[in-house]
Amino acid sequence: MPALPAADPAGPRTMLEIRGVRKAFGPVVALAAADFQLREREIHGLLGGNGAGKTTLMNILYGLYRADAGEVLLDGRPIQIRSPRDALRHGIGMVHQHFLQVENFTVTQNIALGMPGRSRLFLPLAESEQRVRDLAARFGLEVDPRALVAGLPMGVRQRVEILKALYRDARILILDEPTTNLTPQEVDSLFASLQAMVKEGISVIFITHKIREAVHVCHRITVMRLGRRVLTVPREEANDEGLVRAMVGEDVDIRRSVLFSGVSRKPQPSGGQAILRVEGLSVSTKDGVPLVEDCSLAVHAGEILGVAGVAGNGQRELVEALIGARQTAGGRVLIDDVDLTDAGTARRLERGVAYIPEDRLQDGFLPKGTVVQNLILGVHRRAPYARGAWLDWRAAFGAARRLIEEYRIRTPGPDAPAVNLSGGNIQRLMLARAFSSPCRLLIAHNPTRGLDVPSTEFVYEKFLELRDRGAGTLLISEDLDELFLLCDRIAVLYRGRIAGTLSRGEFDRYRIGRLMGGMEAAGARG
Amino acid sequence: MAERVLKGQGWPGPLALVVTSAGPYALGITVAFAAVGIFMAAMGFDVPRAYSTIVFTSFRSVNGFIQTLLKFIPLVLLALAFTVPLAAWKFNIGGEGQLIAGAIGAAAVGILLADLPAIVLLLALILAGILSGAFWAAVPAWLLYRFGINEILTTVLMNFVSFGAMDYVATEVWPDPAAGHPTTVPIAAAGRLPLLVASPPLHTGFIIALAVVVAVYLYLNRTTAGYELRAAGANARAALLHGIAVHRIALLSLVLGGALAGLAGSVEVAGVHHRLIEGVQSNYLLLSILIGLIAKGNTVAVPFVAFAIAALEVGARAMQRTMMIPAEIVFVVDGLILIFVLLSDVVRRR
Amino acid sequence: MLTLVPYVLASQGTMLAGRAGVFNVAQEGIMLVGASVGFLGVYLSGGGPLEGLLLAAVVGGLFGLALAYFTTTLKMDQFVIGLALFFIGLALSTLFYRLSIGITLTPPLISTLRDLPVAGLSRIPVLGPIFFRQNILVYGTVLLSLVLHLLLRYTGPGLALRAVGENPMAADALGVNVPHVRYLTTVAGAMLIGLAGAYLPMVYTGTFTEGMVRGRGWLSIALTFFGGWNPALIFLGALFFAGVEVLAFRVQVTGVGVPYQLVLMLPYLATMVVMMPTFRRLQVPAFLGKNYDRERRLLL
Repeated sequence: MPALPAADPAGPRTMLEIRGVRKAFGPVVALAAADFQLREREIHGLLGGNGAGKTTLMNILYGLYRADAGEVLLDGRPIQIRSPRDALRHGIGMVHQHFLQVENFTVTQNIALGMPGRSRLFLPLAESEQRVRDLAARFGLEVDPRALVAGLPMGVRQRVEILKALYRDARILILDEPTTNLTPQEVDSLFASLQAMVKEGISVIFITHKIREAVHVCHRITVMRLGRRVLTVPREEANDEGLVRAMVGEDVDIRRSVLFSGVSRKPQPSGGQAILRVEGLSVSTKDGVPLVEDCSLAVHAGEILGVAGVAGNGQRELVEALIGARQTAGGRVLIDDVDLTDAGTARRLERGVAYIPEDRLQDGFLPKGTVVQNLILGVHRRAPYARGAWLDWRAAFGAARRLIEEYRIRTPGPDAPAVNLSGGNIQRLMLARAFSSPCRLLIAHNPTRGLDVPSTEFVYEKFLELRDRGAGTLLISEDLDELFLLCDRIAVLYRGRIAGTLSRGEFDRYRIGRLMGGMEAAGARG
Repeated sequence: MAERVLKGQGWPGPLALVVTSAGPYALGITVAFAAVGIFMAAMGFDVPRAYSTIVFTSFRSVNGFIQTLLKFIPLVLLALAFTVPLAAWKFNIGGEGQLIAGAIGAAAVGILLADLPAIVLLLALILAGILSGAFWAAVPAWLLYRFGINEILTTVLMNFVSFGAMDYVATEVWPDPAAGHPTTVPIAAAGRLPLLVASPPLHTGFIIALAVVVAVYLYLNRTTAGYELRAAGANARAALLHGIAVHRIALLSLVLGGALAGLAGSVEVAGVHHRLIEGVQSNYLLLSILIGLIAKGNTVAVPFVAFAIAALEVGARAMQRTMMIPAEIVFVVDGLILIFVLLSDVVRRR
Repeated sequence: MLTLVPYVLASQGTMLAGRAGVFNVAQEGIMLVGASVGFLGVYLSGGGPLEGLLLAAVVGGLFGLALAYFTTTLKMDQFVIGLALFFIGLALSTLFYRLSIGITLTPPLISTLRDLPVAGLSRIPVLGPIFFRQNILVYGTVLLSLVLHLLLRYTGPGLALRAVGENPMAADALGVNVPHVRYLTTVAGAMLIGLAGAYLPMVYTGTFTEGMVRGRGWLSIALTFFGGWNPALIFLGALFFAGVEVLAFRVQVTGVGVPYQLVLMLPYLATMVVMMPTFRRLQVPAFLGKNYDRERRLLL
């Protein structure tokens, strides 16, 4: 564990102060009365579950949102931040969770975008490139200034994001969940870069929902919950239980919780019936570039098989191939021993495959529709919703009412426009839909991303229930903690291939990290 | 949301619903008329008389009313030809060309197969029109499916192609030498649509149009196919991932639209002109898209809006005849109504 | 060479707005209005072409402003608003003409734009007159295409513009004022389209007739796609469209035995054929046709 450089011994000076910020989106109050203090040369962790308000607060600081009330003081003087331009002028930079890069541009173009050049019109390319190289060397963020962003791996893209802020002489760097897309080794490299920045006088605000990380790298930790600051402790005084309490309050019964208990379960007896069998599956682009190569795996009854990997290594394509939305270039997909390789999505859904997409809104949701219309998507051709070619709306409404109650979806009724549902409720709707018909195989892709703690709990409960009922689950997730919590076995996907599979007894973070980063190819098992 | 406000103030449910649905339209109409009225007054026109002509001509005489219904028929069919693909979020701007294609097909059958007995010829006519229109839309639909070409472009281009075809048929293939304007020889009498009212003539196309409206409503709202179409329009990717054949549906929706427009063409030939006359498409395309947009794609609203627009058109022509005010003013009114209706959506969203 | 101009102007206008993500489909209407007020501007003022061109550009700009306002600020769907503006343009073009001129038997005429020969160069045999003895709009169009090309590729503002069309969230986060860029490009683009419309009465016929534009507005959308949203390629691609139009005209005049209706259809059919192999492979700005809402995108 790399040691932290000592905080400035001359006595820490508060450089940034946020007071009494309030922000509401319509009826939803995201920030009640938030405050925050940042000292010079410190890495300050902002900890909290989804929906706690951390990202909202930082977005206000960066000028992407306007606060309804409150003030920001920089070096003791109040400043106005109305847009990212102002924030950048004051030396505040931000790296978002989803990278904001233009695919067709080069690294340098992305970094230099929007900056007034010396000669007002023409871009001094060579100069910019050199500056990028210098910054990269100084902070340990190696990039090729001429490369097109489109082909770069996640770790490198994150460096580009950070360089954007450094290029503009940021004194304060905000990182929003920066480790989401990194292998454990890349995480260490990131932390090393952060130390380098602190040495040069930059302060870092590190947003995360993972206690482990916060304690690992931050000098001080602030916990937020329900739009307020609940607790600020220096690293030396922090303990896990106290932080958890601060994060969830009374909402979750920690002792019975799946999320926090680190429940150790009996590993499933291997050799149950294989519900899903994938043999040598390959998927490639139209031009023949392989996205998934010779992938083989099996999910057994009553088992949760996890697929780990950094985003962009073929997860999306694998899922699409499994549910029949993408053509395969080779291999077979069998469900309950029936070869469905050439079958369309509708047929697979009929055979008991349920699917929870990663991008809830884009891939699984009808924004202009009502709740009931959303609930029957995918199952609309089946009884009881359909009789022949005609839809039976009465049956649909009845089922919808039942599901709304069972899954505790907060909505006025089946007829309500679905667009008003909150993120957590949309996920409940997806779960309800996935489980509304008898389910043999559940394919879930990042199911708890962006969900608050109670909703995450709910999802995990339902997954475990499904497992106990004897169905199989394929859980593709970029969150290693989640996989460690729930899975019986974990397969690692790297560059479209299964780099290795580990059983529950063998789970080891760094080992998986090496597989995720392509540094080891363990013999694939089972 | 506005409904709830009204209900909160003690308004009964159904009344609140009607007011909030019809309210924006009423407001839009009023403001549009007012705005144009100011403009017209500035130009020195007699506004009250002009407006009364526009609005009431349809209702002042039986003839006016029948004229309105005669316009209503092709307008409502063309509006549906736009709104059905719109439900799948495809923009069919080719209603004009598809109508013309339908008219050509119907006229061809009516002239070539003149010996068939009445009902048979009529049915064959109409079928030919539907198929021709469907074909005319199938070309852009296929270009979209196979090559991904934007359908707005291709449907519009096909309109221009149809003009050429229509001119050719009317001047080279079956021209009527006696007419001063490019026209074909008349179709056989057996191919004419029977009349509902003898004088002034209102043909059975009216019944057909109403039946089609009901059929479209049932299709879109009560069948699984209709649900899939609307889902594909709401979120194509989500629909695709849940087993809906989105690309095929897009194609189908355009072809359906073409069939509806082709039907309009054959109805015009069989019911009104009894021949293919150049210009049969009139200004229906513009008006039909306007109707579709004002009705916000809602099948139930379409016939009402279509009737209103038809009435305004009849009135505008009358105004131009009697008062020498250009009829295009009504276009501007129509356009303003559209803008207000769209704006009311924005307001509602907040 | 002459026939190039309306295509190029309208397409560059479409491209400009499109590179920032605003898909203008109202060209046909804007061109009609441009033709109408351009003609009226010259006819009623009795002066030179300048009044007409200016008026056409201003009115075009107003349409662009409306498009920008409804889509960028009010976040309404770009196609729907484009179609609505198309109608309004159509209606207004005829309305203005009727109101100013009424119904006459012989169409009123204005004098067409004069040629401006370039001193020595126009005397070069064959090539000279083609390239160097043209009216001012032709010269302007060529210059414009060049300027746009350089602007988009090599300048800072050009980069920002492209970013707004490819990933407005990225641009916004770096301080680029996305709504400003969209407004500017949409209005400027629409001005160009209005000018393209005014070109028709001023150079071709000297008068205004209702169906004047004859689909060129729609064809210019095709040209923009065909040219990959790139000003230089658009200029080259316009050669094809102009060529087809000229060919159709020639055949019509010399009466080569092909029924002339077929020839009339040629430009439209040719366009569709040409788009078949090319449409899918073109580089389209990623955010074309989509509106950007800063707060909503972060909420979702």
